Amino acid sequence: MNEIRTLIVDDSSVMRKIVERSLRQAGLDLAVVHEAGSGTEGLDLLKAKQVDLIMSDINMPSMDGLEFLRQIRAQNLAPGVPVVMITTESSEEHVKQAILAGAQGYIRKPFTAEQVKERVLPLLNAA
Amino acid sequence: MLFNGVRAAAIARPRVGVKNEMEPTMPVSLRESVELVSDPRNLDASVEEVFQLMLGVSCRRDAGPVVQEQESVTAVVGFGGLLSGACVFSCGASAALKIAGHLTGMEFQEIDDTVKDGIGEICNMLAGAWKGKVPDLAANCGLSVPAPEFQLRHAYRFADTSFAVTIVCDGLQ
Repeated sequence: MNEIRTLIVDDSSVMRKIVERSLRQAGLDLAVVHEAGSGTEGLDLLKAKQVDLIMSDINMPSMDGLEFLRQIRAQNLAPGVPVVMITTESSEEHVKQAILAGAQGYIRKPFTAEQVKERVLPLLNAA
Repeated sequence: MLFNGVRAAAIARPRVGVKNEMEPTMPVSLRESVELVSDPRNLDASVEEVFQLMLGVSCRRDAGPVVQEQESVTAVVGFGGLLSGACVFSCGASAALKIAGHLTGMEFQEIDDTVKDGIGEICNMLAGAWKGKVPDLAANCGLSVPAPEFQLRHAYRFADTSFAVTIVCDGLQ
């Protein structure tokens, strides 16, 4: 898939850059990278911009990643766009919660570009 | 001392997803996991994993004290739920600059917000990796049991740089 438009949501600007770098290392041709520091900012961006992929942290202040995901689905923003959660939480329960909220992928921090590739590329190919 | 205020706020809020009907059954105590929680190899493995995967450097535990510098950076990530405590990451300015440099691929001359943000993320990943090695903690639910404070503090080294990681718990019984 060429020229991916991506939204990366994380309260850490460093982690947003690391996620972007990992996506590029995974071979994705990122045409546009939108960044949001919270779920609220992410929702605002999705109302104004079209994206092909959403990568979101879970533990964030004000609106966490799961609520962000629920709001995306509830407001029918970015229909059909795969959402991958990236988090330090690794329990089955957290994965279950993310899937129930509508996530298609789950990446545990710390991660490698190879793991990002394995989780993200199939989703983009299927979209 | 510079303090990472963003991550310090984690002390005041549980780092767990929104509670819902999927909340698992709460273990009564960490009694069966005490050995896992206090096993220093879990902390060593967590540090090695985070530094290898995110910084691409090999890191080992160092017996010696962390080199003290006038300027330092400390990040704190709190544990809430079954275990109450915190993961504290502290290092001197030179180590912080190197760690942030490896993490981001950028070069830093001074301790700015990006460096502090990077150290906060390292602390966050260390806390998550360490917690994830104890199944009861990975599920992260339950009540803490009052107990004497427990602390694991180790110094680590990579190349010519050293830093310390401390796990502080107030409910280990």
